[in-house]
Amino acid sequence: MSETLVRTTVNGRPVEARIPNRMLLVEFLRDRLGLTGTKVSCGMQVCGACTVFVDERPVSSCGVLACDIDGADVVTVEGLATDDGLTPVQQAFVDCSALQCGFCTPGFVMMCTALLRKTPNPTEEQVAHHLEGNLCRCTGYEPIVEAVMHAAESMSSAESGTRHD
Amino acid sequence: MADFELRRPTSVAEAVEHLAEGGLPYCGGTELIPVMQLGLMAPDILVDLKRIEPLGGIREDAAEIVLGARVTHDETAASPLVRRHARVLAEATSRLGNARVRATGTLAGNICFAEPRSDVLTALLALEARVDLRSATDSRTVDVADFVEGPFATVRQEEELLEAIRIPVRASRSSYIRFQPGEYPTVTVAAVQGDGGCRVVVGAVGEIPGVFTFPSAEDVDAAEIAAQVDVTEDLGGREDYKRHVTEVFVRRAMAQLAEGSAA
Ligand SMILES: Cc1cc2nc3c(=O)[nH]c(=O)nc-3n(C[C@H](O)[C@H](O)[C@H](O)COP(=O)(O)OP(=O)(O)OC[C@H]3O[C@@H](n4cnc5c(N)ncnc54)[C@H](O)[C@@H]3O)c2cc1C
Repeated sequence: MSETLVRTTVNGRPVEARIPNRMLLVEFLRDRLGLTGTKVSCGMQVCGACTVFVDERPVSSCGVLACDIDGADVVTVEGLATDDGLTPVQQAFVDCSALQCGFCTPGFVMMCTALLRKTPNPTEEQVAHHLEGNLCRCTGYEPIVEAVMHAAESMSSAESGTRHD
Repeated sequence: MADFELRRPTSVAEAVEHLAEGGLPYCGGTELIPVMQLGLMAPDILVDLKRIEPLGGIREDAAEIVLGARVTHDETAASPLVRRHARVLAEATSRLGNARVRATGTLAGNICFAEPRSDVLTALLALEARVDLRSATDSRTVDVADFVEGPFATVRQEEELLEAIRIPVRASRSSYIRFQPGEYPTVTVAAVQGDGGCRVVVGAVGEIPGVFTFPSAEDVDAAEIAAQVDVTEDLGGREDYKRHVTEVFVRRAMAQLAEGSAA
């Protein structure tokens, strides 16, 4: 079996590994690194449950070769929160009850984080468009959109120095 | 997925050598990886194009916009050059697929794969784009209209790399609309009105987009296009339904073009 030597950082930690060429990124993250927050659902880049960042771009890790992360900076859902606590997006998901079973949540949190980095104050329409490629079978999506609007608001008030709850 | 050898060239010259040895190029892998997982393709050698710097970037060259083979949908949609001179392409790439596909999928990969419902192909046909192909021994430039021969079929030889996409810069008015209830669109319509007349391209309803030309936007006949366009019945709908949405969306595209500003 052909392998490639890969040097990368995952959630800020340097990782060096010989990876089989045909291994998918999601398999590497879950099975080799034990980062099981990244979920596999459709396996077709359609549902978003396996979303991670590779050099800040959101990708479906079920459709990417693990070797492609050589030299890149990878962030999974485990890499978002810090010692100071949850990120505004994570906190907003809790506050708005934007989840029920929780299986799709890591993917949604990643996609919403990616959106707010590029578009800090999105309209509801922009949020819905950005999340078209993420499926949730429980919530009906409305609390998720609400959570993103909430997170955007708390981030911009934190930015402008005002306190928020 | 079957085992394969992975090559990661950093120059075009190196890449085309690998292709000459039978390597299969890929960039985002958004089409190729699923196809390999299904066992529909089992290349012995994969050639990663992502590390070839000169394949990146969007630039203006003479009277053309040149998009390198590594350029993604997101980069295209955000490009001021594309937004100004090729708005149908900016619209198509900002809406197709989903946000992850747009972040890593390339335009070159899209048209080399030649998926029949490609938004990119609809837009590039409306803009009369061309592609640069290069092998270890030769290079040529081909109209996109001649490049894609049919569903999943292009005139690209296995040893040829698609190096860049070229779009002529012309004063024009345009519109792009699509209807996508699922993963891929049911119908895509691009309309471009320039000095030479009005081009209407209808994609996704059949095996390959249909190109219709008229002396001017006022002459566009939506019912006529809907009657003439090639349609294939599939999960996107029956023939009568697809002809119906074609007519409705051509009419809407023309209304938008009439209202819209230049470009
Ligand atoms: C869930 C999903 C939804 C999608 N929805 C849409 C949609 O609505 N509309 C739409 O238009 N598209 C859609 N797509 C397709 C998407 O646009 C393409 O997958 C993407 O642009 C392909 O680019 P890539 O770099 O990932 O190609 P890859 O997968 O890397 O390559 C695709 C093919 O092209 C060949 N190739 C790639 N680059 C070159 C090159 N430079 N020279 C020669 N050959 C090359 C490869 O050998 C391979 O056969 C969707 C895809 C997915 C997965």
